[in-house]
Amino acid sequence: MPQADATAPSAVSVRDDQTGAVLSVAEVAVRFGGVAALSDATLSVRPGTVTGLIGPNGAGKTTLFNVISGLQAPDRGSVHLFDTDITRMKPHRRARLGLARTFQRLELFGTLSAGENVQVGLESSIKWWQWHHLRRSFPWAKSGVPSAHGLPEGEPTGPGSMPVATADRLLEGVGLGGLAARQASAMPTGLARMVELARALAMAPKLLLLDEPGSGLDDAESDALGELLTTLAAGGMGVLLVEHDMELVMRICDYIYVLDFGVIIASGTPEEIRANPMVQAAYLGTVTDEATTEVPVDSVDGNQDSADAGANASGSGEVSGAGA
Amino acid sequence: MSNFLQFTVFGIMLGAGFAIAATGLVVTYTTSGVFNFAQGAVGMIAAFCYWELVTAHHMNILLAMVLIVGVGAAIAGALVERVLMRRLHGASAERPVMVTLGLMVILTGAASIIWSPTVQRTVGYMIDGQFQLVGINIQYQYVLIIAVAAAVAVGLRALFRSTRTGYALRAVVDDPELLGMAGVSPNRMGQYGWILGFMMAALSGVLLASTQTTGISIQAMTLLVVSGYAAAIVGRLKNIAVTFAAAIAIGLAENYILNYVGPHLSSSLQADVTAVLPMIFLFIALITLPSVRLRAVGRLSSLRAPRVAGGRESVLVGAGFLVVGVVVALAFGDTAFKGTTVLTLGGIVMCLGIVGLSLVLLTGYSGQVSLCQFSFMGIGAFLMGKVAGGGSVIGLLVAAGVCAAAGAIVALFTYRLSDLYLALATFAVADAVATGFFADSRVFGGGGVIVGRIVLPGLSLGGDKAEFLFVTLCFVLVALLVLAIRRSLFGRRLVAVSDSPAAYATVGLDIGFTKVAVFAISAGLAGLAGALFGTVQQVVGTTDFDIFPGIIFVLFVTIWGIRTVSGAFLAALTYVVLNQLWPSGLGIFAGVGVILIGRAANGLLGVEWLNVRLPWVRSDPDGSLPVSAGTLANASVTGGATSAAS
Repeated sequence: MPQADATAPSAVSVRDDQTGAVLSVAEVAVRFGGVAALSDATLSVRPGTVTGLIGPNGAGKTTLFNVISGLQAPDRGSVHLFDTDITRMKPHRRARLGLARTFQRLELFGTLSAGENVQVGLESSIKWWQWHHLRRSFPWAKSGVPSAHGLPEGEPTGPGSMPVATADRLLEGVGLGGLAARQASAMPTGLARMVELARALAMAPKLLLLDEPGSGLDDAESDALGELLTTLAAGGMGVLLVEHDMELVMRICDYIYVLDFGVIIASGTPEEIRANPMVQAAYLGTVTDEATTEVPVDSVDGNQDSADAGANASGSGEVSGAGA
Repeated sequence: MSNFLQFTVFGIMLGAGFAIAATGLVVTYTTSGVFNFAQGAVGMIAAFCYWELVTAHHMNILLAMVLIVGVGAAIAGALVERVLMRRLHGASAERPVMVTLGLMVILTGAASIIWSPTVQRTVGYMIDGQFQLVGINIQYQYVLIIAVAAAVAVGLRALFRSTRTGYALRAVVDDPELLGMAGVSPNRMGQYGWILGFMMAALSGVLLASTQTTGISIQAMTLLVVSGYAAAIVGRLKNIAVTFAAAIAIGLAENYILNYVGPHLSSSLQADVTAVLPMIFLFIALITLPSVRLRAVGRLSSLRAPRVAGGRESVLVGAGFLVVGVVVALAFGDTAFKGTTVLTLGGIVMCLGIVGLSLVLLTGYSGQVSLCQFSFMGIGAFLMGKVAGGGSVIGLLVAAGVCAAAGAIVALFTYRLSDLYLALATFAVADAVATGFFADSRVFGGGGVIVGRIVLPGLSLGGDKAEFLFVTLCFVLVALLVLAIRRSLFGRRLVAVSDSPAAYATVGLDIGFTKVAVFAISAGLAGLAGALFGTVQQVVGTTDFDIFPGIIFVLFVTIWGIRTVSGAFLAALTYVVLNQLWPSGLGIFAGVGVILIGRAANGLLGVEWLNVRLPWVRSDPDGSLPVSAGTLANASVTGGATSAAS
């Protein structure tokens, strides 16, 4: 697994060197009415790494994902995918540049089968109005004869010499082999999340945003997910992971950002985050003596309430999990 | 100057009438989340009741108002909420639209049975006489309407700002569950909303009836408050003050345009402008709405999608259908049913079936509501009669092409709109085309446009049998096309964009392009159907493509199942047969049907116990999920996923 940048700066600052990053978010701010959902959020994701984004409920993680994927326009700040400024770009154009995501609250194509969900992702670059694609829909066209679950079988999708990926193989890859024909909305949450993941992977993304992919999975499934994500990163993909399962985050992330009440309050390697007293105070639910003595007053300013709320909101079970 | 003041007073009066109806709409919407398409029809019924009681039976005006507005409308509103609307909680978003449209066609249908449209009915002023102010004459009736509207506005403001019920009414849409926890029944608040909405609809109907100097008509009274719809949209369906102001502004604008621009136009154009203006305001109000932010709704459609027939299966069924068509042609060659030959009626069924198929594609697959398919159909029929001397294959192509282009233009303006607003926008298009184009004497003329039968090279379709078989073949081909589209990657995209627009965009697909494309294809099919309809009837006229038949047909397709090809055919068959048996009852059948079908999204054909499995149909995969907890753990994580990612 690729390690985090050897020159990672101190634990309470963000990575300011954004050269070569697949994703660079700079000073993004979003307000909903009088509430600041995000304030000057800055982070970056490097290719070939899994970057964690943690924080209590309501910290702004999903809002940040929405800003990155284009579902929410920021009031301020910029988002770059490699060197391309995508801040004002439409969501589908960002996706075409190699950005894929999953959703905290499932966004599957519910009336389609699991296989068709993935197929929509696989085919996203195809222009349907071209004759050789239209021809496949004809009842007599050989390549268009639908299989039992309505999918044309063995349709090649990889351009040029790339390995051919099919919906079935992608579903197998996330542990859903043989389930391609199931209607997506009839699947249990954990499996439906994997369909979303397979659909995102079908686009061969350069940057993958995962919003709590581990919720609804048991321990064994969670381990397999971790293994899958490290494998994907090893292949060069940048992964930004929002996850409440601290054990998973600490195990697979190369670098972690901590978001609290819309503010990035810390960043660093898992070890640094685990040791950071401010993070413990704000998120992990342990208020130590150091937290009250070492954190500069100006950093705490405006965050004390959130620290308390976070401490109340998050269970201490997650701390023990993180330390295990 | 005195002219200007006169127009201004009349405009404010008209706007005040709209404002009462519009604020009623807003009250209903804010308390129940439902836009009542029947608002105008309720006003129409109230106006006819008022005519019946006061003009025909000389009842005291005040007593009549109390009976109509205070008793009749209030009870009707409470019943409609309790019996029709409450069942729809949790149904798909287009369903309340269909049910209130159903209510609208029931009321207009019932009115046409009770009050024969051939009799002229004029509702007089409640207070006769006038007075002079700054040199202009002002009717006391105008003052009354403006005063009533002002009283309604003040009363509503007091209700919402100063009473506990008012606070609860405002809170109910934001969070009904929270309101429930606070000890207030959200259902009761919804019911109050419907009662108030109905009362205000009735009030506006009765007041505006008096301004109809040439008499009240069912269609005109029903559509009179469309300007009120526009005002309610400007008020975003929640702001009563803005709605009220917008209604007054629209009343003024309409009156100024008619009086200052109107005289410079030819008389027929002036009539067109008069008829179309409210719809133009509505359309503009809708397309200038800020586009709905694309967001993840976290809602999974739990709907069981109807099975899609495979290629070979659909060809076989299509061939069987054609054989049945040949048998029908031979068996019923000269038979007539209620004055029309069976084969002509059969041909109309096939044409309407194609319109139904265009709805399957548009609404059933891609989730876009359209109430203006009959408009495209009418344009297609008109072009078929005008291009290349009528009855030409070129006419068919031109009809389909022009309608596809028109559909694309409509969709370019409307694809950002969600279900309700799209329904309203297409409603506006349908009425504007019907009243401003089809009703224009220069389009269809008094006797209609002669289309004639199609002439194919070396083949005569002059006879009824040949014509019937030709349109049957066209229906089968379009059905095969629609099924092929559903099986294609474009079809998957249509369903996907309907299920989750947010996910659709984030897999790199352009929502706008897809929606415009399917709207264009669907409009093209409707245009083709219209052209064929022209060749079946041989003459087409103004009333063939009116707004109400168009809405009634959409309801029939919804009843049978808007996601299936067979639903489209059965809807067309039902429509034509019932129309032949009892034309004025058609709307009542459609309305009652759509109310009974309620929230069953796949219509009658999706109802389990009605669903007969045909012997050649392969059974669906087992619905149960034999998934163990370790499924993912046992996965081969280095399989297809990484190859796609590399």
